[in-house]
Amino acid sequence: MHLLLERLSKRFGRNPPAVDRLSLAVPRGAILALLGPSGCGKTTTLRLIAGLERADEGRVRVGGRDLTDLPPERRNIGVVFQSYALFPHLSAAGNVAFGLEARGVPRGERSRRVAEALAMVGLADLAQRKPRQLSGGQQQRVALARALAIRPEVLLLDEPLSALDAQLRDGVREEIRALQRRLGTTAVFVTHDQAEALALADLVAVMNEGRVEQCGTPEEIFETPATPFVAGFVGRSSRFIGVVEAPGQVRIGGIALAAAATPPPGPAQVFIRPHHVRLDAEGGLPGRVVTRAYEGATALVQVDLPFGPLLAAVPAGLPVRPGDVVGVAISPEALRVFPA
Amino acid sequence: MIGWLLALPALVVLALGFGLPLAVLIRVSLNRTVETGAMETAFGLQTYRKILADDFLGQIALDTLGLAVGCAAAATVLALPVALAIRAAPRGWQGALALAAIAPLLVSGTGRIIGWLAILGDGGMVNALLLALGLPSLRLINNWTGVRIGLTESLMPYAVLVLLAGLGRLDPRLDEAAATLGAGRVRTFWRVTLPLAAPALLAAFALTLVLGLSAFITPKLMGGGRVFVIATEIFDLALETVDWPAAAALAMLLLLGVGALAALRWLLPERSR
Repeated sequence: MHLLLERLSKRFGRNPPAVDRLSLAVPRGAILALLGPSGCGKTTTLRLIAGLERADEGRVRVGGRDLTDLPPERRNIGVVFQSYALFPHLSAAGNVAFGLEARGVPRGERSRRVAEALAMVGLADLAQRKPRQLSGGQQQRVALARALAIRPEVLLLDEPLSALDAQLRDGVREEIRALQRRLGTTAVFVTHDQAEALALADLVAVMNEGRVEQCGTPEEIFETPATPFVAGFVGRSSRFIGVVEAPGQVRIGGIALAAAATPPPGPAQVFIRPHHVRLDAEGGLPGRVVTRAYEGATALVQVDLPFGPLLAAVPAGLPVRPGDVVGVAISPEALRVFPA
Repeated sequence: MIGWLLALPALVVLALGFGLPLAVLIRVSLNRTVETGAMETAFGLQTYRKILADDFLGQIALDTLGLAVGCAAAATVLALPVALAIRAAPRGWQGALALAAIAPLLVSGTGRIIGWLAILGDGGMVNALLLALGLPSLRLINNWTGVRIGLTESLMPYAVLVLLAGLGRLDPRLDEAAATLGAGRVRTFWRVTLPLAAPALLAAFALTLVLGLSAFITPKLMGGGRVFVIATEIFDLALETVDWPAAAALAMLLLLGVGALAALRWLLPERSR
């Protein structure tokens, strides 16, 4: 593992800990997303890795080296700040050169590496512009070039896309991904946007109240959430309260459903993803369509079942209208059941 | 229109309390002083010519400029760490710290100088300490040294105020960015903090320079009668020598000089103002 966080804790004043005995491992060259609601401690975790905050407990290791007690300037970790934090008095090239000057890179090599880094993000022509003469997207690239020019062991990005227009985001997301791949830099980025996390990351760590709820590939996080929080936070789902009666069987509001995996018998909460629900089943549960929202390729339909409202994502071509009675089928694999 | 109406009382007070005396001052400066020392009504620039040709006054003008430049520079440089520390303090403390930094403005100039006498006087705190350490005592008051110390101190609150207002561009994130890029505190200060603080430093220097040029109380009370600057010279001409035209003309020349310095700032590029 290239980046190792071992039981990191950080508390500000008398508040509950912002980061609470958090452990994570990121393989070399992988990109990890820290995903969670605001205030979950994801930005504090990033700042602990960068050394901008001192950990109360725990260790930060990169490539086997213990960085916990080093100040940020001796960690060799590149950071792209949410606000970019470009030096307003320096040109794009000056910003990128800053870290190389601090490292005492000789002038000739320095200008070569500055040009290289700016070319990498497609800003070779704008090297002499000051930050205020650049657009938001261009500033973001300068910040990225500046962080990468020092050839960091780990690249950290704090909400890298949040300040960009929606149209720019997908493009920049792909660029960051491609660059990170090409350079083989281990990267960690913070986001509250699950689509961003799932699309960009090799690994997603879902955080809540200073702890990691689950860390896994985007598919694992989405398809097999480990906790009710992850099931509710990532992706859309319908949530029900029920009872596990026997292995493989859950009763919700008087109706028994088959489930692929269940906890020991007892009260349970059940999450069902909309795309696992079919509405055209012969002999399915009868349900009445309440609303239908067209979303392009699919339509999101809310169906009233005897035990409550259920969301279903169906092909947009399926002819259902509010008021229709449909046959609802839920496959056993679709039910995520947790002890209540 | 309504703005002008509302400003009218203040404008009247200004006209009577500032405009009128200034006009009288200009008028007096054009009068003539005869051999006996009496003032004679005239309408000419003879007094100005006399002053500009006076080597003694020329030396005083140079001394005043030197004092003001030195003290303004010292006050600005000393105020920078104070302003930076206030900005770096937790939010809840910033107001109280800023107030503490400018508290000297709330004390009368005379009271402050009496405080300095207790610290710098021949039997004052500093010399008592030196004596206790077996070191030779220093003459820190009633000379230029005393005036420099006192004037620098009295200018610092103004410099702190201007710097606090002008350091808005200093985002603490920039220090963090510099650190993650490998820059230590010293490099960050020289390459990030100082360049971004430069416009505010210039503004603080300009203001304290103007205040220093016209300083009167500090040179008068801490100079022990041995320190002559333009303001004390105007006082002496008006009240000791009773040469009103000369005092008025010198005051006008000081006003012009200060005005010219203030006008210089408008020649600076927009961004650094």
